[in-house]
Amino acid sequence: MNKVTEELRTEIKNLIMETLGISGVRPQEIDNAKPLFGGENALTLDSVDALEIIMAIQRKYNLRIADQNLARSVIQSIDSIAEFLVAEREKTV
Amino acid sequence: MIIENFQHRMAAHCESGSITSLLIHAGMKITEPMVFGISSGIFFGYFHKMKSFAFPTFIVRNKPGQMRRNLEKRTGVRFYSKDFKNAAAGQEALDNLINKGIPTAVQVDMFYLDYVPSWERVHINVHFLVVIGKEGDVYKVSDSYFPGVVDLPVSSMNTARFAQGSMSPKGFLFYPKYVPASFDYQKAIRKGIKKACFYMLSLPIPFLGIKGIRMFARKITDWPSLARDTEHLSHEVMKINILLEDQGTGGAGFRFMYATFLQQAAEMTGRPELKSFAGELMEIGDGWREFSLFAARIGKSRDLGADKFKQLSMLLNQRADKEESFFKRLSKAIH
Repeated sequence: MNKVTEELRTEIKNLIMETLGISGVRPQEIDNAKPLFGGENALTLDSVDALEIIMAIQRKYNLRIADQNLARSVIQSIDSIAEFLVAEREKTV
Repeated sequence: MIIENFQHRMAAHCESGSITSLLIHAGMKITEPMVFGISSGIFFGYFHKMKSFAFPTFIVRNKPGQMRRNLEKRTGVRFYSKDFKNAAAGQEALDNLINKGIPTAVQVDMFYLDYVPSWERVHINVHFLVVIGKEGDVYKVSDSYFPGVVDLPVSSMNTARFAQGSMSPKGFLFYPKYVPASFDYQKAIRKGIKKACFYMLSLPIPFLGIKGIRMFARKITDWPSLARDTEHLSHEVMKINILLEDQGTGGAGFRFMYATFLQQAAEMTGRPELKSFAGELMEIGDGWREFSLFAARIGKSRDLGADKFKQLSMLLNQRADKEESFFKRLSKAIH
């Protein structure tokens, strides 16, 4: 069974920062567990950023997150994105 | 009391989600995309000048109530529905139904739902939820946008059910009073698809269906002249994203949900060609998402020059071309 690795978390952080053009934050400053929305984390994202991230995930990993309820839960935090990616990879194995 | 055996489910859309939960509770084996597809939920309408809208807007599904009526025609299910002149009568009727053990869907203004976080509360008079119990002065509510059953005080429920304004709920409630033991899925699916194709291709009204997408493409370049100022224009442009992605559409203005319906329909009817239509509609939905994201980006950055509206117009025309071709071929395939 695959597990969430620190490498995957960093990959996700880099993807988010590249997608949103964020340069003033280092990946290690972004908390893995804290929400990405609402100001508790080093990144403060909004709903437009959320859609940008959903589409970036689709492009990079070829995974469409169609439903908004699922999308909301997936992009809560770095950990939740990583767990989603690992779960989807397991489905294809 | 809480009605036993009612299973709370999250759903992509409040009305199709409420209908689905009620039908499953009543014994029908059906999914939300199937409810949406059989009832020909997919649609498009652009409203440039209407008294009820202060600024041009659009819809991406058929009007509230149409889903139930189309389901009745195609599956044989029968819904009881009623609206009320005052809150006392509306509450009495709801309480009687709950006491009888009947989960009941009600129409509400979302703004008055205490369990919705304050930053997410907006005045939407056509939100649907299912009431599944009452303990003292609190209703037990199954709201398909929330992961579990939530509480709502009776006073808030009454305010939400009798809110004023455009499309006011008037205490409207409904529940399935008859659910057939079985129905002809093949026939219902075929009729649902045929009607959806008719809605999208053949309504003789210039702002509905594919014609509506094309009208949107023509008229959106006028939007800057209709807005009060940049802030207002930015707000209206960002609303495009909200209407397509954030208001329980299942993503891409219901296109993803309809694609899921086609996928399920392919399996249930043994028509594999519907599966390739499903894949194609998913890609069309991706295009709507690109359009939605572009609108959100320019609205957020206030980058609202004429060139950007031309770009929005071009993206809309592309959607219209793709959907026209798609529904024409789907219509032929289903005959």
